[in-house]
Amino acid sequence: MTHVSIQELTKVYPGATEPSLDRLSLEIPTGELTALLGPSGCGKTTTMKMIAGLLEPTSGDVCFDGRSVLRDKPENRGVVMVFQNYLLFPYMSVADNVGFGLKMRKTDPAEIKRRVGEMLDLVKLPDLGDRKPSALSGGQQQRIALARALIVQPNVLLLDEPLSNLDAHLRFEMRDLIRSLQQEMGITTIFVTHDQEEAVVLADRVALILDGQMKQYEKADVFYKRPVDEATARFFGGHNFIPGHSNGRAFDCALGKLVLPEGAKSGAGKLTFRPENVRIGHDADGENNLDAVIEDIIYLGTQTRLKLRVGDTALEAVVNPNEIENHPKGGNLPIHMPRTTLWVIE
Amino acid sequence: MGKEPLGIRSFRVLTGAVLITWLILPLVPLAIWSFAKGWFYPDILPRNWSMRAWEYAMSDTAGVLDSLWLTIWISLVATILSILVGVPAGRALGMYKFRGKEIVELMILAPTIVPGIAVVLGIHSIFISMGLTNSVEGVILVHLIPTLPYMVLVMAGVFANYDPAFEAQARSLGASPLKTFWYITLPAIRPGIIVGGLFAFLVSWSQYILTLLIGGGRVETLPLLLFNFATSGRNDITGAIGMIYILPGIIILLLTAKHLSGRSGAVGGFGQI
Amino acid sequence: MSDRMKIFLLLLPAMSIIVVLFFGGLLIGLMRSFNYMPVIGLTEPDLSAYASVFTDREFYYSFLLTFHIAFTSTVISSILAIGAALLLRRNFIGRGVVNFLFQLNLTVPHLVGAIGILYLFSQSGSFARLAAEFGMIQRPSDFPALVFDPYAIGIILQYVWKEIPFIGVIVLANMQSIGEDYESVARSLGASKWQTFRHVLLPLIFPGVLSASVMVFAFTFGAYEIPAILGANFPAALPVLAYRKYTDVDLAARPEAMAMAIVIALLSALMIYFYVRYSRRRIRG
Repeated sequence: MTHVSIQELTKVYPGATEPSLDRLSLEIPTGELTALLGPSGCGKTTTMKMIAGLLEPTSGDVCFDGRSVLRDKPENRGVVMVFQNYLLFPYMSVADNVGFGLKMRKTDPAEIKRRVGEMLDLVKLPDLGDRKPSALSGGQQQRIALARALIVQPNVLLLDEPLSNLDAHLRFEMRDLIRSLQQEMGITTIFVTHDQEEAVVLADRVALILDGQMKQYEKADVFYKRPVDEATARFFGGHNFIPGHSNGRAFDCALGKLVLPEGAKSGAGKLTFRPENVRIGHDADGENNLDAVIEDIIYLGTQTRLKLRVGDTALEAVVNPNEIENHPKGGNLPIHMPRTTLWVIE
Repeated sequence: MGKEPLGIRSFRVLTGAVLITWLILPLVPLAIWSFAKGWFYPDILPRNWSMRAWEYAMSDTAGVLDSLWLTIWISLVATILSILVGVPAGRALGMYKFRGKEIVELMILAPTIVPGIAVVLGIHSIFISMGLTNSVEGVILVHLIPTLPYMVLVMAGVFANYDPAFEAQARSLGASPLKTFWYITLPAIRPGIIVGGLFAFLVSWSQYILTLLIGGGRVETLPLLLFNFATSGRNDITGAIGMIYILPGIIILLLTAKHLSGRSGAVGGFGQI
Repeated sequence: MSDRMKIFLLLLPAMSIIVVLFFGGLLIGLMRSFNYMPVIGLTEPDLSAYASVFTDREFYYSFLLTFHIAFTSTVISSILAIGAALLLRRNFIGRGVVNFLFQLNLTVPHLVGAIGILYLFSQSGSFARLAAEFGMIQRPSDFPALVFDPYAIGIILQYVWKEIPFIGVIVLANMQSIGEDYESVARSLGASKWQTFRHVLLPLIFPGVLSASVMVFAFTFGAYEIPAILGANFPAALPVLAYRKYTDVDLAARPEAMAMAIVIALLSALMIYFYVRYSRRRIRG
């Protein structure tokens, strides 16, 4: 319903020398669910507040469907922000919280009651209307905060770290709820998070912000397979960065000459591959086979992390524990790396 | 939240200026009077200026200085007693849960809300029989009614945010209980004691009716002296004594301004100044 | 040593002092108000002091005046204090200095404020002189009586002066600990600035305002020196009347003074009830 366009958005807080957000530009297509991902303090929440009109940008513009909304008051923007700690009004009942936005619009009380009932059904908490927020669990409060936001049928929904305060088992439930509601209602949704897993699990597309600047804006899986640079790869848990030279088809480095996938860039750079993509055993075709020595084995329960050495080069691999049952620390380990798992960065 | 229109902005600045002016205004004529040599209606400002009132106040014979030292002595002793007795009680209330705690809290809260006049008449009639009226000791004792509960409440707040695990750690490292108190507990609660003590001093410093009744007019602290000069129409001397009288409070405010914002526990005592 | 023993010993000195002095004082006052004092041979309690107090018109005038002073001062101070806190919570240049000036009179005793108000608002005071300067009045008696007046305007002005910062600092601390996010939520849900204040901020700070107001009400109801300086002779504020009765040459008036002290104590007990109700809720909620 609403295409959100952020243009060169910059925020410098009074008294600060460095901008908290530096010329962020982003196009968020109608109805998409986008994550702003970055470490804490990188300007994500600042961005959200500027979209919602709760904070004034130093420069830049926010447009909805091509129209600048900077002059619109927050209550008229059709943007609702759901805060990380939910912020249910503690002195109101759950039903009054959900109905708050409609009451502010002076909707008829009977109509409010009806729509609050619908919303509570939608978030699967139909019987809690009379309680006080303090009597709810964290997961329930989150749902009520979501219901309170959705009841006003916003054009744009902003979520601040929507899953981070929830237990592991609640996160998937909440994720499914947010995704289904968002798609059902077709609301353009932006959420911020510092947790790459949260971003990947929930979002159609992820914008990675590091040091106040946008690094990459892509579908989630691209960050794992095709990171733009080392910082991006590291943020997503990348470990292996081996300097060398690419001719577009093969990469020449301390590990030898490794075959690259199509589209890899040429010239001097670093070879990167994810620890979990290192395969144990040699490839039958002899492509990208290496002989490593096991320096250390770190058992992590469902996975095992290996510190390997090939010649003088240290590598990290993550494998299934069963795969290395018969390989002791200090022993040799044949490995290979499928070409599609390799990528070259600057 | 968006740029403010100029109108709202100037309204804000203007009301702020009116507010601050109003809060300072009553002190202005007192300050002027202290330097005035006669200031008659309808002069907006005195025609002649003089240091006479200040010379009088500072002279050895007028008794203002004696009154000043006496007031300092009474407030100091009342504060020290409040600290000595209030810190242990604050620890009990801040760190432990026990049966009857709510009643104890209520009993400590009550003197901070019930006005002095409601209790001092009864106290006066016992103090007569104990020979404590018209004495400095009696005045100090009665000043504990507002200062001690205040100190206890402040220290309870301090101890509620205090982690006794540090004490256990010190004991396990071989410190005696006394050394543990000296090296661990005291440094941790010292800021609270200082702020609480300074405000307790001010609470005692500002007492009027308690001193008047129990001191029977013989224990003439600064507020009594000030009241007498104010009601006898010696405005210049009233002005000078008034300036001397508010000085400790302003110094204490300068020292503790940081601690005031966001700490309503310590602020509660200002209700009685 | 058991914990119970430890708690007992920690509380013992403070509780002894409070029980003996405060509750002892109250108890003796109560006994004397009933003319009951076995030590001096009064063994037959009666209600004669209350009877004479409650049949005295001066007491009723005095009570109503005192209630009017306390109520009006508290309401005006609370409203203005909320306004002041709204002004001061924002960031602006020179905020530190303004905050200091705002808190300045917290440490200035009421007595000094009362004298200052006297010098400002009496019929020969600074405002009367200004009025004369601008030709608004001919002689001092043309200036409206704002002190020693039957409506206790001077007394109320003094309390408003003194209590705005007191309530203001508490409300400001309250607002700071609440933060601005609740208001942001309300704005983004479509509430206007006024609706946000009315439906979100005000309910959030209300318990804090109420507990501060209760302290102010009790203080203004029982303070002596302010009405003694600024008040009219008749009717006098209740504490002034009680003090006069107590120091009357006629010792028989003392039980009446005690009865008035008990009236003040009962009213403040009511205030304590409100205070505990709302401050507890604030602490636990």
